[in-house]
Amino acid sequence: MAADIPASRWPLSAQGAVPWVTTIARLVLGGVLIAAGWLKIGTPALSVQAVKAYELLPGGVATAVGYGLPILEIVVGALLVLGLLTRASAVVAGLLMLAFVAGIASAWARGLRIDCGCFGGDGTLAAGQEPAYLSELLRDAGLVLCAAWAAWFPPGRLALDSALGLSDPPDHHDDNEENVS
Amino acid sequence: MSKGAREASARDRIAAQRAAERKRERRKRLMVISAVGVVAVAAIGLGSWYAASQDTAETPALAQAPATVNSDGTVTLAKAGVTGPVVDVYEDFQCPACKALETSSGSTIKNLAAEGKAKVVYHPVSIFSAEPTKSNSIRAGAAARCISDGKQWLAFHDKLFQNQPSETVEGFALNDLVSWGEEAGVTDPAFPECVTTQKHAADQESQSARVMREAKITGTPTVKLDGKDLPNEVAFVPAKLREAVLAAGQ
Repeated sequence: MAADIPASRWPLSAQGAVPWVTTIARLVLGGVLIAAGWLKIGTPALSVQAVKAYELLPGGVATAVGYGLPILEIVVGALLVLGLLTRASAVVAGLLMLAFVAGIASAWARGLRIDCGCFGGDGTLAAGQEPAYLSELLRDAGLVLCAAWAAWFPPGRLALDSALGLSDPPDHHDDNEENVS
Repeated sequence: MSKGAREASARDRIAAQRAAERKRERRKRLMVISAVGVVAVAAIGLGSWYAASQDTAETPALAQAPATVNSDGTVTLAKAGVTGPVVDVYEDFQCPACKALETSSGSTIKNLAAEGKAKVVYHPVSIFSAEPTKSNSIRAGAAARCISDGKQWLAFHDKLFQNQPSETVEGFALNDLVSWGEEAGVTDPAFPECVTTQKHAADQESQSARVMREAKITGTPTVKLDGKDLPNEVAFVPAKLREAVLAAGQ
């Protein structure tokens, strides 16, 4: 069973695919983050409102998150697309996605009727619109997997980390782990 | 020095050289990583600061433009003789995004009217179809219709947004609406009964349906400048809203 064998003992053909999968995971996750941040960054007032719609954070914190989240998403997304500080960016992106999953699940559990506000908007549903919690959760869970893969097998092909010599050289992997994280 | 000792010291030198090289490389890598990290964190900090600065509300002018309550429940805010540009504000007292609009751009809208740069028309509508938001919104909208003085209406309008209930609970209770009206300066003796009997609830509902249809409102808040919808990126950013209205008045 191939799945039980560590990556280093996979057949060569599969080993060659791992960095490309990382690249795809980086591009998908980074692309979604950039789009999500870009659609929110022009309307800080609505971004704050969308955070408040979850009724989870106290007012001042919700406001700070509303102002900071769009630019955080864009910066982390750009780092992932470029493959720069791949492992750290993937960890941050994964934690973000886990926070979104927790927020949406909590809104669902409390019976709120909101839009996730992921790609702009103020968190309120349009007239006649039903909450789409399940699909939002599945999408974000998929992105958590992308983040986990990119954090596990950084930096993948076409990454600035490799071009700048920032990725872990295979011979003294342990030395550099602390630098990256 | 014996041959063996010389070879050993040569080996040591090479080993020491390699170690130094590894150390240099490691230091260089650390510097690049720190530099990228610092730039990323600085970008996030600057971006957040910029977002906050974009969302800074104007200080309300001391003297407001005269407000007139119209027979259809809309309220006009304009200095005498100012007929344009026209800023139409469609909002629902229960809608959180409308509260966000009021918090960010509300003072800009009123200031533009006070400066004689725009004629502002408020259209309070009830857009919700599910409970408890539907009844909350109609109670508040119907109560606002009990006020015939423009200045008092505007103060009541601000009070309603300040006290907006969550969308998940029943709010805008009738006795609260009465006391907020009195705090807003309403002195009309018929006001409390008008609110508690919900005299204008049916009007509020039918007017909302008509406005939504005729003005093609798909959600609240909608801000129109001379009949055209302003994008959220303008309506919700005070400085950009001011710029757009001033440009329309040129």
